[in-house]
Amino acid sequence: MSDVAAQPTPNLLANGWIKSGLIVLGLVAAAIVGARIDPTGTIHAIFVDPFNQMAQAPDLLAQTIWEGLVSGVLYALIALGFVLIFKASGVFNFAQGIMVVFAALTLVGLYEKGVPAFLAVVLTLGVMFALAVTIERVVLRPLVNQPDIILFMATFGITYFLIGFGEAIFGGNPKQMIAEQLYLPKGAIDLKILGGIVSLQKIDIAAAIIASLMIAVLALFFQYTRIGRALRAVADSHKAALSVGISLNQIWVIVWFTAGIVALITGIMWGARSDVSFALEIVALKALPVLILGGFTSIPGAIVGGLIIGIGEKLGEFYWGPLIGGGIESWLAYFIALGFLLFRPQGLFGDKIIERI
Amino acid sequence: MNAHSMAVAGAPVTHKGEVLLSVESISLRFGGVKAITDVSFDIRKGEVRAIIGPNGAGKTSMLNCINGFYHPQEGRITYKGVRRDKMRPHRAAAAGIARTFQNVALFKGMSTLDNIMTGRTLKMRKGFFWQALRHGPAMNEEIEHRKVVEDIIDFLQIQHIRKLPVGKLPYGLQKRVELGRALAMEPELLLLDEPMAGMNLEEKEDMCRFILDVNNQFGTTIALIEHDMGVVMDLSDRVVVLEYGRKIADGTPAEVKADQRVIDAYLGVAH
Repeated sequence: MSDVAAQPTPNLLANGWIKSGLIVLGLVAAAIVGARIDPTGTIHAIFVDPFNQMAQAPDLLAQTIWEGLVSGVLYALIALGFVLIFKASGVFNFAQGIMVVFAALTLVGLYEKGVPAFLAVVLTLGVMFALAVTIERVVLRPLVNQPDIILFMATFGITYFLIGFGEAIFGGNPKQMIAEQLYLPKGAIDLKILGGIVSLQKIDIAAAIIASLMIAVLALFFQYTRIGRALRAVADSHKAALSVGISLNQIWVIVWFTAGIVALITGIMWGARSDVSFALEIVALKALPVLILGGFTSIPGAIVGGLIIGIGEKLGEFYWGPLIGGGIESWLAYFIALGFLLFRPQGLFGDKIIERI
Repeated sequence: MNAHSMAVAGAPVTHKGEVLLSVESISLRFGGVKAITDVSFDIRKGEVRAIIGPNGAGKTSMLNCINGFYHPQEGRITYKGVRRDKMRPHRAAAAGIARTFQNVALFKGMSTLDNIMTGRTLKMRKGFFWQALRHGPAMNEEIEHRKVVEDIIDFLQIQHIRKLPVGKLPYGLQKRVELGRALAMEPELLLLDEPMAGMNLEEKEDMCRFILDVNNQFGTTIALIEHDMGVVMDLSDRVVVLEYGRKIADGTPAEVKADQRVIDAYLGVAH
């Protein structure tokens, strides 16, 4: 982070907010004027009609927001894995997505080999620990004190290794997550509210609860403990951390293992909603816009960013998508992130970028 | 800082005799470049030992060898009677060797307080579990160490910047915070790499006073690299002079100052 260009003083930052506020205000004004002049045209379709639809069918709106919320929580989980490693080693871990797939595949693979479900979870954790130790030994240790970009490229290497390794062992076919065996709830709760039915999948509720718990624990841990402080220290300067007696090797194993645990939980939750396949890895890249939004160093940022992206995506797809033929869900997140980069490059909650010249 | 906080460093040392660290004919190469060639010297308990020499003489490389960032290809380093020429930096820290860096290596995004707290890392040993819960013993421990850190902050007169992120501080203050972080480790051997570089006269005088106070009050052994000859003469008990990776003189400041080879090295001589 430290190499990013100088950040304007707080004064200018305030101007940034004012600027974005003015732009939003201008857009709203333009929309209102436009809609008056031309009640059936494009402007009406973009700025008025979707809101009319929302008001007319609030149950549909609630359902859409819930769907967005759930995918948002899952994006947040993936982003959390990225944030952990970024905080501790200043590296954007490209391999986080494949770690999710790899963890889920290992779990299902072990179960298929006849290992009882919960034992399989424990064994998978063991595998993730072994993976963390291996990455530290083979990849990170030889690259101490190298520029961040080199470590970043190394995570690409880890990604392709894990894809190949995973396919060789478990095969390339999608697998069914063992949600039932892990006592994850099935079915849905139908709520009769807002003049219609809003259907909540129980697995989604479980995912939201588990994710929230995990996030809370990690946030406290990072902010207030010796190890948390050591993790932040390592992110800032390797040699200074070493000189006060922090063992880089130990810290790296801790973060990569923690990221592995997060990956496993994410894998189980994602897998329970669809299936376990290498396609998940692409979904994991959605964490990138989430991180730009929330800030690369902030755990709460990962959550809020995840929720904004998740909900924004679903609302965009449902209400605005049809205007341009649908399918905007796949790129809308990046579009939102781009907007954020213009006004607040450190994200909503990111550490302020300090640079002395 | 009170007596409690520096108990480990022991009573002020009156006899400066016992060898704390000795370097015996070490050589360090980077590929074909010889950074250090066959250098031997020792550091005695309680003394201020200066390492001087022109740019590129191998001074920083020498400190890096001592605290384990570099491992010399030849020779021996003995610390407290134990041979440790392949020591890793965090092990060196655990063994009581603290250091500062030539170009300040602080944790820029963290506050002065947190930076100095990281110096207590090795002293904090309560379990992972309590740490995670931030409760019980870990909380008491945090408070206890916080007190030591506050003492150090008082000692270095940096109370006013306790909560500021250090990346924003002027260079002179950053150097002081870095010294604070090293002191928080309650080191037996303190390595200072150009503690006064880039400082104005007033800041230099402050820093000199802190170094002398640390040495006198807590008996901490100090090895420092410095360019300012006046500072070196005032501060140090003994001086070792390096040039092109070789030792050219070793002795008291007065002896070294009178040495013809040192004068040549510093003033330049027609070969």
